[in-house]
Amino acid sequence: MKNIEIKIAGKPISAQPGETIVHALWAVGMAESVQTGCAGGVCGACTVTVRYADGKPGGTELACMKPVEEGMEVFPCPVEPDKAVEPVINPDALTLQSVFPTVNRCTKCGSCTTACPMSIPVMDSVMRMQQGDFDAVAEDFTTCIHCGLCRFVCEDKVKPHNMGLWVRRSLGKSQPELQMADEDLNLIEKEWQHLMTDDKQERIQRAKTFREKGSQ
Amino acid sequence: MEWAKESLEKVEGSRAARMKQQAPMPSDPDLILKNFHPDYSGKERTVNAGPNAGDQKFPLELADLLEADSPLPATHSTVTDIETDVLIIGGGGAGAAAALAFEGSGLNVHLATKLRLGDSNTVMAEGGIQAALAETDSPRRHFADTMVGGHGENEPDLLRILCEGGPKSIEWLSQLGCLFDRNPDGTFRLRGGGGTSVPRVLACRDYTGLEIMRVLKDAVRLSSTNVLEDHAAVELFDDGNSTVSGAVLYDRKKASLVNVSARAVILATGGSGQLRLQGFPTSNHVGATGDGLVLAYRQGCRLAFLDSYQYHPSGACYPEALAGQLVTEAIRSAGAQVVNSEGVHFINEMAYRDVLAAAIIKETQEGRGITTPNGKVGVWLDTPMIDLKNGEGALAKQFPGLIHRFERYKIDPVKTPVLIYPTLHYQNGGISIDSQCKTEVKGLWACGEVTGGLHGKNRLMGNSLLDILVFGRRAAESVKEKISERKLLTLNNLNEFRKSQLQKQITSPTFFPKASKMKLEIGKSAVEAETTDSSSSETSGGFEPPDPFAR
Repeated sequence: MKNIEIKIAGKPISAQPGETIVHALWAVGMAESVQTGCAGGVCGACTVTVRYADGKPGGTELACMKPVEEGMEVFPCPVEPDKAVEPVINPDALTLQSVFPTVNRCTKCGSCTTACPMSIPVMDSVMRMQQGDFDAVAEDFTTCIHCGLCRFVCEDKVKPHNMGLWVRRSLGKSQPELQMADEDLNLIEKEWQHLMTDDKQERIQRAKTFREKGSQ
Repeated sequence: MEWAKESLEKVEGSRAARMKQQAPMPSDPDLILKNFHPDYSGKERTVNAGPNAGDQKFPLELADLLEADSPLPATHSTVTDIETDVLIIGGGGAGAAAALAFEGSGLNVHLATKLRLGDSNTVMAEGGIQAALAETDSPRRHFADTMVGGHGENEPDLLRILCEGGPKSIEWLSQLGCLFDRNPDGTFRLRGGGGTSVPRVLACRDYTGLEIMRVLKDAVRLSSTNVLEDHAAVELFDDGNSTVSGAVLYDRKKASLVNVSARAVILATGGSGQLRLQGFPTSNHVGATGDGLVLAYRQGCRLAFLDSYQYHPSGACYPEALAGQLVTEAIRSAGAQVVNSEGVHFINEMAYRDVLAAAIIKETQEGRGITTPNGKVGVWLDTPMIDLKNGEGALAKQFPGLIHRFERYKIDPVKTPVLIYPTLHYQNGGISIDSQCKTEVKGLWACGEVTGGLHGKNRLMGNSLLDILVFGRRAAESVKEKISERKLLTLNNLNEFRKSQLQKQITSPTFFPKASKMKLEIGKSAVEAETTDSSSSETSGGFEPPDPFAR
């Protein structure tokens, strides 16, 4: 197969068709030029911007997920984490506005939605944050990897992913406590003694029976 | 996927009939394991140096690292740069859980990670976390399932602690703000996993590890923990009397070594999938190179069960760019069958992971696999069955991550099965610890994937996310109780180790995958590293990225 020519921060390199930007960098010994973490699309370390030779619109990408294309120009675009904000119990729109005062500055340009590598409807969700529709916000940000690109591209200093996490954690903290069933402690200890026998052969036999029945 | 058309037609053709019946569990799982599981391929050997010299066998790739020399110059100074009470090494779930458990203790805590906080295997975990919450369940039943799955090799004391910690850990995560999937009636949705006798796996779609890690990471950032990112641990210090007293870190940004004096060190460095044993692909993050095993070994810690690794049965096999990445086991528990090139459902997909992986390898070796244009061979995971069984939209709702990753390659798992092959996933063995997470060397604790014993010789789905929470926090509790006075920094243990039969031509830890060609220039001064490495300053220099939205 023919090689693909791309540029990393202005430097030309050859890549194999079908490989990602990260693997193309590895192959030519330039791994350090883009920060990597999981190389599986979920840690958000390897944020880059890309431009295309043929004039098609460029944008933001995760280098570990984006396959190389002929004439592609790649620029590392590391995003520093923003200060964390303590979540609250029973959050509402007013509280969100007080801890994230920029939420109402959104001018609906849509850059955040375009920038999101996880296809989250970010801008729409910012609208929902303004209105306090937090269950929907939590759903929107289920797949957020906190790469920070939505915040990075926002000219109005709105911090969608930070707010998304704050909403999710706040809702999480507001959940009722888990009810643990009352249990017969003597019976429990008896079952443990049965399962934890010192004889290794006997132990696995007892485990086999116990798992079928749920008791000894 | 025109190249697989013929086989795909067979898979579709047999689907209606397969839907109605279950495939049997293998009649002789031990035989399949012995003949086809990579642990039994014989690609292992004993080592000639350190506490395990001459006893148990290690995979060849790991054995080399255990016998390798340290990259630290013999003349390295022992002057303290950072003084802390506790040094946690590792920025994944175990390290973060440990850090949070120190809040309010008054101890000064530093957490060092080679990458950024949270860049770990934890964040990549998809399927879920086990906790005995169902009515018909109990921590004892969780114990029994896990013991059988681990072939009876699990350390019973550790395993009991894990299982008893399940419900409490879910409560702890919930109070931190984790959102797990719930049923319409508000109870946690519990799914089965390979080897669970009752539904016990909680999840947040197929992003469970991401949900847990982003919450832990946020909580750590809000805590008093001092986080040192891009700081790789190169070596441990001892006090000259075999007690660990700190660590040498390498600051990747400044290209310089940093000596940390600590009253207690917790290793939470995770696994070693990036050693890519026997040429297998891996589902692991780029930092999973077994660094913690090497560091602890040089201090005299014995390693256990490292002849046993977990090869996850469903690693992606096509497209090439996704090779080795995880396709979660939860898809199998939700009803997707494992099918060979002839459309035959050759094994029950809820068999234990090691047995299923071996059975898939058997199919491909015996000519019933599907060969990709890149020459890889795999079998089908019949993902379209999910919607057929659970209603239209079920796959997309429950497994958005799967859809998201494949759609870029114009593959829709709702309509087309995905090709899978086992991928190196988890280090079953590791550093021996006691029930307080203490290693055999004073001053050193360990928790999470870097340890060995808990999972025996085969780990069940959902037990590693639980492991890092239960034992991460437990290590911290033990440190709080047992922490000693500050000790001297010496490199005595390293110098002693250097007298044994080492392979002087290589050094370890390796820090990064071989394939990445990344090397830390340890031993060079910052100035030297900068002047010799002109290419990196040219490429990562301070330029402004262009506006991606300019039209």
